Amino acid sequence: MAGELEGSKPLSGLLSGLAQSTFHGHTGITEELLRSQLYSEVPPEEFRPFLEKMRGLLKSIAYADMDFNQLEAFLTAQTKKQGGITADQAAVISKFWKSHKTKIKESLINQSRWENSLKTMNWRVDLKSQSKHLDQINVPVAIVELELGKSGQTQKK
Amino acid sequence: MAADCQSLLELTMEGLCQPPQEVGSEVTNQLLDLQWKMGMAVSSDSCKSLKSPYVAVTLKVADQSGQITNKSFEMTIPQFQYFFKQFKEMAAVIETV
Repeated sequence: MAGELEGSKPLSGLLSGLAQSTFHGHTGITEELLRSQLYSEVPPEEFRPFLEKMRGLLKSIAYADMDFNQLEAFLTAQTKKQGGITADQAAVISKFWKSHKTKIKESLINQSRWENSLKTMNWRVDLKSQSKHLDQINVPVAIVELELGKSGQTQKK
Repeated sequence: MAADCQSLLELTMEGLCQPPQEVGSEVTNQLLDLQWKMGMAVSSDSCKSLKSPYVAVTLKVADQSGQITNKSFEMTIPQFQYFFKQFKEMAAVIETV
């Protein structure tokens, strides 16, 4: 059974799924989904700590925004630990981080923006000729519509 | 970047802000003031080194009844450059009208 977890092929898929749920805000990726899709031979009680270990590693790597030297040192140390990872797994994680690092950093930046952001902007310029209270001949007026919102909602202003 | 923000502020104040006595004649909200700041997100609980610059803007607007509210929002640098470009285009159009 433990041998199933040490294989490296499904690990790449697992890391993608973990990145989607942890960094990119994808809510549908459950532990059970990952287990049944990638590690169907492994019982849930064995899979869970494995998944959490991988999630923890990804979060540590992302937190430190590791460059490739730091990453190699970090992963090597993990292979030497009791209950750590295998050299094959280290290689898969390393490859994954190198290709997904930029996108994950972008998502982390977005996650840290809690104020409204500018969703869309439209404008037009009108020429006011007259109004009820004042005679205004040929006054140009710019009218701007800004759509502000936090991720997931919008409000028009 | 700060120079862009400053010119945006001047552009907006010149072209778009009108004295409050005309508030009752507007059919849309009226822009009274625009303030900006530039910041840098340095670190967060999920990323020790974010190093992410942003521009934050607060608009003071009066509605048709004269009620004043503040609307604020943040933009990344590319978003701000787009925002600024829109105002430059508006200014160009206003010049020709």
